[in-house]
Amino acid sequence: MELGKVWNDVFDRVKTWARVNSPWVLHFNSGSCNGCDIEILATLTPRYDVERFGVKLEGSPRHADVLICTGPVTLQARDRLLRVYEQMPEPKFVIAVGSCAISGGAFQGCYNVVGHVDEVIPVDIYVPGCPPRPEAIIDGVAKLLGKLQTPAAARPVEETVI
Amino acid sequence: MDVLRTLFTLMIFPGGLFILFNGMVYEWADRKLVARLQNRVGPRWFQPLADMLKLLAKEEVVPASVDARLFIGLPVIALAGVLTAALYLPIAGLPPAYSFPGDLIVTVYMLSLLTLCTGIAGANTNNRFSLVGATRTLTQLFSYEAPFMLAMLGPAVAAGSWQIDEVMGYAAEHPVILMQPVGFVIALIGLMGKLEMRPFDAPEAETEIVAGAMTEYSGRGLALFYLGRYVELIAGLTLVAAFYLGGIQNPLDYFVKTLALLLVLVGLQTLMTRLRIDQTVGLWWRYGTLLVLLQWFVTLLLRS
Repeated sequence: MELGKVWNDVFDRVKTWARVNSPWVLHFNSGSCNGCDIEILATLTPRYDVERFGVKLEGSPRHADVLICTGPVTLQARDRLLRVYEQMPEPKFVIAVGSCAISGGAFQGCYNVVGHVDEVIPVDIYVPGCPPRPEAIIDGVAKLLGKLQTPAAARPVEETVI
Repeated sequence: MDVLRTLFTLMIFPGGLFILFNGMVYEWADRKLVARLQNRVGPRWFQPLADMLKLLAKEEVVPASVDARLFIGLPVIALAGVLTAALYLPIAGLPPAYSFPGDLIVTVYMLSLLTLCTGIAGANTNNRFSLVGATRTLTQLFSYEAPFMLAMLGPAVAAGSWQIDEVMGYAAEHPVILMQPVGFVIALIGLMGKLEMRPFDAPEAETEIVAGAMTEYSGRGLALFYLGRYVELIAGLTLVAAFYLGGIQNPLDYFVKTLALLLVLVGLQTLMTRLRIDQTVGLWWRYGTLLVLLQWFVTLLLRS
């Protein structure tokens, strides 16, 4: 019995270590003005070189662990955002980048806007700014990875309702 | 005792664990060197290991539209194919684990199993990006496979044997790279096509078709395909080094020669941009195949 517990413990640690050291991100724009998207692209340039931390930009939601969302969610983008989120395999995490993704920002109350990202999918980390600097985005990813290392981060698998 | 020895050969050295770790280390070297050439710091040394463990621990989504047996089985077949190919190669400078007359043909075809499986895996899904990726993968397979095969057979013809061990013995005594320079270049570039490295990465062009044939794969299946690619990198480098760089006699020889070849591949990757798929096909059939056939002809004439 003891041995099984130790084995499970070691296994969990290895999994957490691998997860923390290899976050593959997917970038999704749900109606942003492109300001945050340009900052995210700047984050991926050689100057900031996020490959140091194992961050890799993936094109397919099926490969990604972290969904980086920018902008308020428009009525049209809502279904797509949900679909992309559903396509990602567990465990998955979401970072909301920019004021609009956090609160709706300048687009709050617009006739074509559902609201902020949190109203559609569960968000783990918020990065404020209009737009946030690349350093802030890297800090957001680092905070998410730090959160993963604590036991409480073993977030129960949530069923999102479309 | 015999069973134990076979198991050791298949699971630990040179078949299983050793070549997987070796592949991950070479993949890291590849990524790190590319990063350094681009003025970046690059990934940490355990990056491929962390990637693979993470993928293996992730959920594997089987899409509704696929044939589930094929979807789950193809990555296993792909990895098994390249691991089998490695058994016939002088991995780490030791003599091949198994050897028989004609194992060169088996090895080269086992190495293309990975690409074939990738193509079928892409065609298996209903995803449009996967389908485009699969078409490109198979088109590319048919364009580089013939010249690569002919380039591999060049030293074999000169040595008068189809056995990797004997060709290596011949290569150790003759400067094959000077006798068949065209074959060397074609083999090296064919290897880049096999591994879908930068000038030939149209099949998985992430800026146009998401991830090519791999688009629908997640978790375990993706990890197995990546591992297959890493092993193929090792096997291909070993094969080219053994045939063209004067054979592989000891572990030091192995690491120096394969890493030197890897450095050349990294340089080419950094220098070139992606070719369109029609450009790839044109390059191979208009120039590659013809040049290597010409060299074959010359080799045959000189031998007789």
